[in-house]
Amino acid sequence: MQRREFFGFSIAAGLSAAGLPGCSDSGPLKFGIHPWIGYEPLYLADDFNWLPETVALVPGTSAKDSMEGLLSGTLEGAALTLDETIRVWSRGLELVVVAVADVSAGADALMVKPSITELADLKGQRIAVELDGVSGVMLFKILEVAGLGPSDVIKVDLPVSQHAQAWSRGDVDASVCYEPTASLIENAGGVRLFDSSDIPETIFDLLVVTRKAADRNSRAVRDLIIGHLTGLRHLVRSMHDSVYRIATRQGISPDEVRAALASVMLPDLAANQRYLRAAGPIETMADSLSRLMLAEGMIDRNPGIERLSDPSFLPTRVP
Amino acid sequence: MNVRRCVFSLLLLIATELLAIAEVNADETLTLGVFAYRPDHVLQERYQPLADHLSRETGIRIRLEVLNQENMSRAIAANRLDLFLTNPSHFLLIRSERSLTGVLATLVRRSGESSTASLGGVIFTRAGRNDIEHLADVRDKTIASPGVHFLGGYQTQVLELLDAGIDIRRVNLIRFLGTHDRVVRSVLSGDADVGFIRTSILEQLAQTDPDLFTRVKVLNRQRLAGFPYVVSTRLYPEWPLVALPHVNERAVRRIASALFAIEPEDDVALAVGIAGFSPPADYQSVEYLARTLRVPPYDQVPQLTWVDALHQYRLWVFTILILVMLLVATSLWLGRSKRQLASEQRRLRQLIRSWPQAALLIQGGLFSDTNRASVDLLRYTSSESLIGKDLAVFSPEYQPDGQISRQKLAPMLARVSEGQVEQCEWVLNRSDGTEVWVELTMAPVHTEDEPEALILCSLYDITRRKRAEQRQRLAASVFEYAREAIFITDNHGIVIDANDAYLAITGRPRNRAIGRLPPLPVDEGTGIFASARSQGFWSGEFASIRNDGEPITLAVTLSSVRSDHGEISHFVGIFSDISRLKEQERKLRVMAHYDALTGLPNRVLFADRLQQAMALTRRQSGKLAVVYIDLDEFKPVNDAFGHEAGDQLLVEIATRMRAELREEDTLARLGGDEFAAIVMNVQDDASLESLLVRLLARVAEPVWVADHSVEVSASIGYTLFPQVGDLDGDQLLRQADQAMYQAKHEGRNRYVRFAEPFA
Repeated sequence: MQRREFFGFSIAAGLSAAGLPGCSDSGPLKFGIHPWIGYEPLYLADDFNWLPETVALVPGTSAKDSMEGLLSGTLEGAALTLDETIRVWSRGLELVVVAVADVSAGADALMVKPSITELADLKGQRIAVELDGVSGVMLFKILEVAGLGPSDVIKVDLPVSQHAQAWSRGDVDASVCYEPTASLIENAGGVRLFDSSDIPETIFDLLVVTRKAADRNSRAVRDLIIGHLTGLRHLVRSMHDSVYRIATRQGISPDEVRAALASVMLPDLAANQRYLRAAGPIETMADSLSRLMLAEGMIDRNPGIERLSDPSFLPTRVP
Repeated sequence: MNVRRCVFSLLLLIATELLAIAEVNADETLTLGVFAYRPDHVLQERYQPLADHLSRETGIRIRLEVLNQENMSRAIAANRLDLFLTNPSHFLLIRSERSLTGVLATLVRRSGESSTASLGGVIFTRAGRNDIEHLADVRDKTIASPGVHFLGGYQTQVLELLDAGIDIRRVNLIRFLGTHDRVVRSVLSGDADVGFIRTSILEQLAQTDPDLFTRVKVLNRQRLAGFPYVVSTRLYPEWPLVALPHVNERAVRRIASALFAIEPEDDVALAVGIAGFSPPADYQSVEYLARTLRVPPYDQVPQLTWVDALHQYRLWVFTILILVMLLVATSLWLGRSKRQLASEQRRLRQLIRSWPQAALLIQGGLFSDTNRASVDLLRYTSSESLIGKDLAVFSPEYQPDGQISRQKLAPMLARVSEGQVEQCEWVLNRSDGTEVWVELTMAPVHTEDEPEALILCSLYDITRRKRAEQRQRLAASVFEYAREAIFITDNHGIVIDANDAYLAITGRPRNRAIGRLPPLPVDEGTGIFASARSQGFWSGEFASIRNDGEPITLAVTLSSVRSDHGEISHFVGIFSDISRLKEQERKLRVMAHYDALTGLPNRVLFADRLQQAMALTRRQSGKLAVVYIDLDEFKPVNDAFGHEAGDQLLVEIATRMRAELREEDTLARLGGDEFAAIVMNVQDDASLESLLVRLLARVAEPVWVADHSVEVSASIGYTLFPQVGDLDGDQLLRQADQAMYQAKHEGRNRYVRFAEPFA
């Protein structure tokens, strides 16, 4: 290992001596991340120091921080959902999806009062939703499934982190939210009427980087993905250890972690290859989501995405 | 006991196989082995309620046996256990030794109100040890551990420290004490600096020793929400409860269902200190740990194939291969160059050594190396005789140009040392005292960075050439200085070179001599070249004319010179001027045959002419007459007027007689006042007598000598030829002489014919 580093160093030294700029001298890749079960492998990798110096995780509290960071240029990559990625694209920043962290399979849910028993009952109800986030996309998908128009419900635009309080105050009749808020509302008497397992392969949590970073700092991007996959391997292999660490970070119990893990699919290396391929599930879904989001006014203009995902940064195997 | 169990097991096996759903024998007994990770009695006490509970629930008598790992492995190998509960590492070891049906359930441990199916390791030291705060401080400390096969008591800590950069298996003294309790005691007593135990031990001990936590300090404490124990490492699944393959399936099912039925609030759970059993956990994290640490059953280093190594280190292998190839190529190249150089040196040395021309190396003015030819040239036996000496030693004191050898040599060596090449002729003394001429060439062969001059000296034997030169010089001087004219012509006879004598004799200037024919005999001309060509030489005397018109006589020898191919390429001629010699010869000849006073033939010539006239007359069948004339009264004239007057008289008389005779006749003076004549073609006596009469008359005419008129007469005898007998000239002359005496007798001034005397 030391030798390898030495060798890398000597090659880099040779290149710099020859007057060629090395690829890795643009500083560490600043990658925005916020708590989400699907992003836990990266946190684990960070905890165990499996991320090399080329990658610097920049923790935030929500996806909003990451999006703003990307747009302001302080971040070169972030963990975002697919719709968040489209939002950033539509604001003029070209992004590349380099890995799929998880696919929601129940993690995003519609929590309703017990009196609401079917989707049609949502008509005229006050629904808490974070229109700027994945929650908004989820709501429109629900309305699509329910056969309702956007105006058939009363949208209460709230950040998801505040849905639990609004629920307990009785301000809303329903909430489109995700874990752990969904579990909190469930504990407070909410009923899970619909979740992302009903619309499979729609809500993706992704690792994205800017086109610039992908072009200029490809080595760091590869390191990031290897870190994610190494963390994922620990999560799967040492579940007994991981649940406690995740629970500690998210401030929930190990059992809740297990429940949360059950609500997402964590694609491994092979699955990532499948998702990221050209015109694969990610790009197909991005296309349909873009149209939906444009139609619902969630974005101002069609981002015109031609090529979104790039599997070339995926390693051939996890070391 | 063993035999009984075996027989029983065998029967059980048969029964299981014969009856798909066999009733479990009421007095069936299964033995549950529990790993004694703590003192035997503690475990015996703790797990007895579980054994009793299972016995009750399943109707199978479950006997509890607490064993350490070694004994448990041995008991399993002997099939003395039916079920066992041990740590995951030990389970992996057993599983690798024999195939198991796998894990029935994973233990869920309880701590107060919370429970966990995970375990980890605790790294701790005494509370007072301020020198041990972090994992890094563990380096070089004495460690107490229950044993290598303890997951929470050894392996988890080893991995954690390995990740922190410390391989304690190499650098630390580790005491293996068998149980966790002893580890705690050892650390508290100060025997060991650091203790490794699994999670929950400290908590269990704290139940009886409430202030335990104040006396220990846990290192690298992990803050894990919801995990009920202090822990220093990452977590792994709890102990598995395993059924051995020989236990019948129905019993296994019953036991499993009884195990899963245990609720945390149950008495048995409380008694054992567990929260129950969960479905079998995934033990691959433990496997990964064991593989990483290379502990049993993964302690064998996997056979690393070439392909693996190549795959892993392909960059290095490739680099090293390239380097090795470069090294080999360089070595080969160097080796080849060295061999080439060596063979070139050898060849060069061989060349110099065997070169037929003498060559020597001069270093510091002395010979440092020589070749065979130089030794031979100087007629020594070995090069040792030459090495270490200088050239002057082998030279005579003086060189032919008069310089002292040593003085001549010194400036030459100095010039060569400065880079010039010197060449001169030199004389050397051989060992046998003879001299040898050589052409001496000295050239510098040292490079500029060599401090000492190295000079190659080659000697070329020119003795033969020198001798040839001498011979040539000699030949040239002969050519130049010879009194004889020497000329060289081409094969057509045109002169291409001639010496000064040639020019002197012929009187021709050089430009009129070269490129022309040499003097040639008038009659033969260039024919002499043809003779010389065929005979090899031509020699002869002939008259020629000098350039100034003076006649000369030359004696010429002309030789042909043949080229290497045998063809005639040149002619060499030598001639001398023999004009004077010829004149001398002529004079001598005249003196021998003629009378000096009258110029008439003498007796010798007369005899010769008579001989020829006789032969001619005999051939022509003619006649001749021999006439003997003697002057009368000559002596008184001589006496009276002197010899000179006598001589004048003789000359006058001879002239008168000569005038009377014809051309073909001969008049000779035989001596004194005696004359003889040969008269050719005598027709008859009358004509002869008339001639004789005219002769007498002419003689008798007065002669004016010495201012005096003198008168003399002549007595003439004659004879004719041929006669009857065969006569020679002498006899004829004698007949004429006799006849003349007859005439004297008869009174002088008359003529008498010879007549045979009467006998």
